[in-house]
Amino acid sequence: MRVYVVDNGGQWTHREWRVLKYLDVETKIIPNNTPFDDLDVDALVLSGGSPHVADENEKMGRNGEYLDRADFPILGICAGFHFMTNHFGGRTAPAGKPEFGKATLIVDKENDIFLGLPREFVVWQSHNDEVVKVPENIEILAHTVDCPVEAIKVKGKPFYGLQFHPEVENTEHGSEIFQNFLKVVEEWHR
Amino acid sequence: MFNAERFVNEQIEEMRSKIKGKAIIACSGGVDSTVAAVLASRAVGDRLLTVYVNNGFMRKGETEAVGKMFDTLGVNYRLVDASEEFFAAMKGVTDPERKRKIIGERFIRVFERTAKEFGAKYLVQGTIAPDWIESGDGVRDVIKSHHNVGGLPKDMDMELVEPLRDLYKDEVRVVARYLNVQVAERQPFPGPALAIRVLGEVTPESVEIVREACAIVEEEIERASAAGKMTRPWQYFAVLLPCQSVGVQGDNRAYGRTIAVRSVESIDGMSAAYSRIPHEVLERISVRITNEMKSDVNRVVYDITNKPPATVEWE
Repeated sequence: MRVYVVDNGGQWTHREWRVLKYLDVETKIIPNNTPFDDLDVDALVLSGGSPHVADENEKMGRNGEYLDRADFPILGICAGFHFMTNHFGGRTAPAGKPEFGKATLIVDKENDIFLGLPREFVVWQSHNDEVVKVPENIEILAHTVDCPVEAIKVKGKPFYGLQFHPEVENTEHGSEIFQNFLKVVEEWHR
Repeated sequence: MFNAERFVNEQIEEMRSKIKGKAIIACSGGVDSTVAAVLASRAVGDRLLTVYVNNGFMRKGETEAVGKMFDTLGVNYRLVDASEEFFAAMKGVTDPERKRKIIGERFIRVFERTAKEFGAKYLVQGTIAPDWIESGDGVRDVIKSHHNVGGLPKDMDMELVEPLRDLYKDEVRVVARYLNVQVAERQPFPGPALAIRVLGEVTPESVEIVREACAIVEEEIERASAAGKMTRPWQYFAVLLPCQSVGVQGDNRAYGRTIAVRSVESIDGMSAAYSRIPHEVLERISVRITNEMKSDVNRVVYDITNKPPATVEWE
């Protein structure tokens, strides 16, 4: 299985690569301006990064092209998730209460991505912005006390978005979330 | 999972093909650079010179201990005392980024001189993933310029070789254990050393204060860990803060400096939680620092911030 990590400039982009590598996936980090036609992958992870996607869209390179043309699963994390939500009609804005470090995730819908995980667990955060409007075609899967949209699924597409960071060591069940995503990828290509 | 044997073989092979002629390795005696030194020495043998620079900001007894460790390793090494030159460069500097850049450049100037004497064109460094990630690049914000990446001067006249670039600390330790490196479990210590644990200007006097406080923190935490009162944290040290506060010592008014104790739990340094040190241990640290260093320090605080939002070091 080949899953590449699209580098949107996150502190933890390389951690995403490491988690995938540890799960025996063929992976590499690619710049976010890599043309879609140059990709030969089974899935993509859109990393986080410092851009405020609401007003620094140009820094997100070709993420939009990937979301428009991919016929495979995509997992957006933090800025990658903000971009995904905006792309499908949602809105991102500076968070009323930004979250850094420890937070408790409350899972509202298990879906595929939280399959077999507890209803509540500790996750690690690092975001200044948050999703403030979710369109009809997006389903909310989880929240925290301070942030109403922590995980989403785009209806009718194998696209997932996470506000928190499953790739860092302090997040509980992080590797299992990646494994669940890889199961989605496997099913999709079956 | 991570396979140390495969990694070691690949890196030795790669260094052999990359390094033509002689090389020096910049080695502080910490886990990363010592592992890099062992790998490089296996790759090119006595075409390698291990160079340790005493920048004047090292911990208590560190330079002597590193010398002994190199003897045990049996590598070809040189200890360079450049403390005067580093202190001179730090005069009047208080901005953390400027400190890191100046220190990065000083290191390179010393390495260039040593490399020239030895006839080496290559500089091997124990750079690991967080060093280049946090130093920033075209797409990544600069969190802090690590001396060995963001602190490198543009006109550097040596070719870099960095075998550990894609590893994190926990993986370097796996390699260190595989290679039987004695410093495998040593706590991380930043390249700019105590200079970034003195907030404000770095002087021989301020470095001496934080050096003593760091030694007390290390001693007490290591003693409590050995006695089973706590698990040894990932990293633990003291920081000298640039503020004074009022106290009372022996019925006299005191207006002394403040030490912050910092201790964190982490795997890779990219995220961390503050350590739950027993109060009994914290109190012992506080009493020792304020009694033994009474003319300098009259207040000790404990840092309870995770990373993010903080970083492990204060600068």
